[in-house]
Amino acid sequence: MTFSPVFHIARQELTVNVRNKWTLIFAVIFGILVTGIAYFGMIAEGFSGMQNFARSSASVLNLVLYIIPLVSLAMGTLSFTGDKGSAELLFSQPVLSSEVIMGKALGLFASIALSMASGFMVAGIMIISKSGPQGLTSYLAFTVLSLGLAFVFLSLSILVATLARRKSKAFGFALFLWFFFVLFYDILAIGITLLLSGSTMNLFLFLSLFGNPVDVVRVASLIIFDTATIFGPAGAALLRFLGGSAMSVTLLVCALLLWAILPMALAVKIMRRQDF
Amino acid sequence: MRPWSVISAIAVLASGQMESQGISNLQSLISNAQAGETILVPAGEYDGNIIIDKKLILIGLGSPVIRGTGVGSVITVKVDSCVVRGFVVERSGKMLVDEDAGILVKSDYNVIEDNVLQDVLFGVYLFGADNNRVRRNDIRGRKELELGERGSGIHLWNSYDNILDGNDIADVRDGFYIQNASRTHIERNNVRGVRYGLHYMYADSNVFLLNSFTDNVAGAAVMYSRGIRIRNNAFLRNRGFASYGILFQDCHDMIVDSNVVADNNIGLFFEASRNNVFQHNIIARNDAALQMFQNSNGNVFTENNFIDNLSPLLVVGKKTETRWNRNDRGNYWSSYDGYDIDQDGVGDVPMKIQNLFQYLEGKAPHLRLYLYSPASQAFAVAANAFPVMNINTEVDRMPLVKPVDLSKLGILTLLAPSRGNHQKTNDSVPLFAALPGLGIFVIGYLVMKRRSRQ
Repeated sequence: MTFSPVFHIARQELTVNVRNKWTLIFAVIFGILVTGIAYFGMIAEGFSGMQNFARSSASVLNLVLYIIPLVSLAMGTLSFTGDKGSAELLFSQPVLSSEVIMGKALGLFASIALSMASGFMVAGIMIISKSGPQGLTSYLAFTVLSLGLAFVFLSLSILVATLARRKSKAFGFALFLWFFFVLFYDILAIGITLLLSGSTMNLFLFLSLFGNPVDVVRVASLIIFDTATIFGPAGAALLRFLGGSAMSVTLLVCALLLWAILPMALAVKIMRRQDF
Repeated sequence: MRPWSVISAIAVLASGQMESQGISNLQSLISNAQAGETILVPAGEYDGNIIIDKKLILIGLGSPVIRGTGVGSVITVKVDSCVVRGFVVERSGKMLVDEDAGILVKSDYNVIEDNVLQDVLFGVYLFGADNNRVRRNDIRGRKELELGERGSGIHLWNSYDNILDGNDIADVRDGFYIQNASRTHIERNNVRGVRYGLHYMYADSNVFLLNSFTDNVAGAAVMYSRGIRIRNNAFLRNRGFASYGILFQDCHDMIVDSNVVADNNIGLFFEASRNNVFQHNIIARNDAALQMFQNSNGNVFTENNFIDNLSPLLVVGKKTETRWNRNDRGNYWSSYDGYDIDQDGVGDVPMKIQNLFQYLEGKAPHLRLYLYSPASQAFAVAANAFPVMNINTEVDRMPLVKPVDLSKLGILTLLAPSRGNHQKTNDSVPLFAALPGLGIFVIGYLVMKRRSRQ
């Protein structure tokens, strides 16, 4: 496998996505939402000099957790199930299917990242001009985490598209996945937690966070913002369990990476089998 | 007081006899003095340790420094009615068990004022000492030590009827440590950057006015006491995994009014504390406004403003028997979404203080890890839409639709020195924030351009 076809395909995917306006629409919506939240969060500010940045970012975090998985899944599914003709043309070229998948994923990711980054940029300027630059590095880290989340769900959408093949079916799956990870998983985890007790409960609760990329990003972001204290003793217990905040973030990022790589690897494997 | 003795003392020091010896011996001056004399000490450096064993008025002119030997207390006051004013006191001993303090007071009716205490284990230690006044002292502990190895700023043990006012305390273990010290009056002190701003037990009928407790591990921990009045204090920015604005353990019959409790991890914490009244407080922007163990009953909350707290109430256990209103007046809750048709200022729909998620948190505290998750919000919405589970045992039936006008308390947030890093924005910084986005834009643009050229 060489990298040059991957980049060629990625570049083409990016061009297509920029031209079909989805990227632009997403960028505008995302930018408006993020800026709006940051702005109204700022207006509600009662006391000065108190947690401005962390609180604003935490509100943005909420949005990120809902929107980014949805958009990534939608765009990924759309791209991988759309237009049979061009897909057949692409696969008939002397490139590996893994190269095609990686290329398309990279191109898609670039277009999503493009629109997300512009949204984050506007909100970032806004928050920082209001509450000072002390949270800047954590905001950048948060941006990177959000991009990671986008990649994870892109990767999942590829898996869904490969499994489902048909567009409508794939979209159904994708929507279910979104619902599952954003809402259902947590409700399930909370439910099971309440059935358990003592140290089993805590262990389950800590480990359950890793089973959901949305939770991984949420917890990692809050640790990075140094607001893990809002979890109270639970946060302290989690950090102790994972071995300090630096270690926790590392572990969570590793989990996120796994979440990004595994579904795509699985998709590649399945597609190979479909070929032969 | 005999005026000639004052003059003689000044004469001795002003003649330069002692100055010429380099570091002067204050102790011999004290031994030579008559009881009741006033000794004026000019600026300079003096050797400790000093023991005041007769009634004396010691006044430092131009902040003379009294430097201890590094063992024991620098100044020990052993008799009643002494005054120590205007000194810089430093280098006490290192033994916590020996009460090694800047100024150790073991007698009554003394005045310790306008001193600076630095590099000391304890600041001022009142050891079985009644009716003293400790005021306007600046106390700085040993920053290089671990929190647990430092002493307290002002430490009271078995001492009654003292007045502590206008002190500024930082870098110690506990700002105030007060044990078995009833009827203490604590006013206008600033405590910051310590473990407990106030560490307090077995001391009844005390008064707290206009103090500020900021940036500590916990603002105040008040334990095993009754009949305390806490008024016009600020408890701000006390943050950590288990940090409180004020912690109440086994406290009864207190009146807590007109305080600002803001930006703490947990605003007010209650365990086994009963029959206390909370009125006219601002409780704002805490992660949790209140945390109560179910053994805390009969507390009354009326006309407080609960504003922008992430969770208004966490109950550990099933429920408390808290009274959320008095005289038909409840509290203002910024999360209240009811209405007031008859325009009497009291909402027509009861305020359910906890939502389902917060209720579940009481059962399994570690669920707080799911705070901010969409699921936790879904729980809240679902429980409102389909009230199948009756979780709402904590209800304010008389919620106020407008905040109580406590704007006069805003000034309290200024009691504390500001955190200081809230400076103006540097213009180049937003650009820096834009870099990742800009980078991706540029790369995207270049890619597109090359693509279209091909």
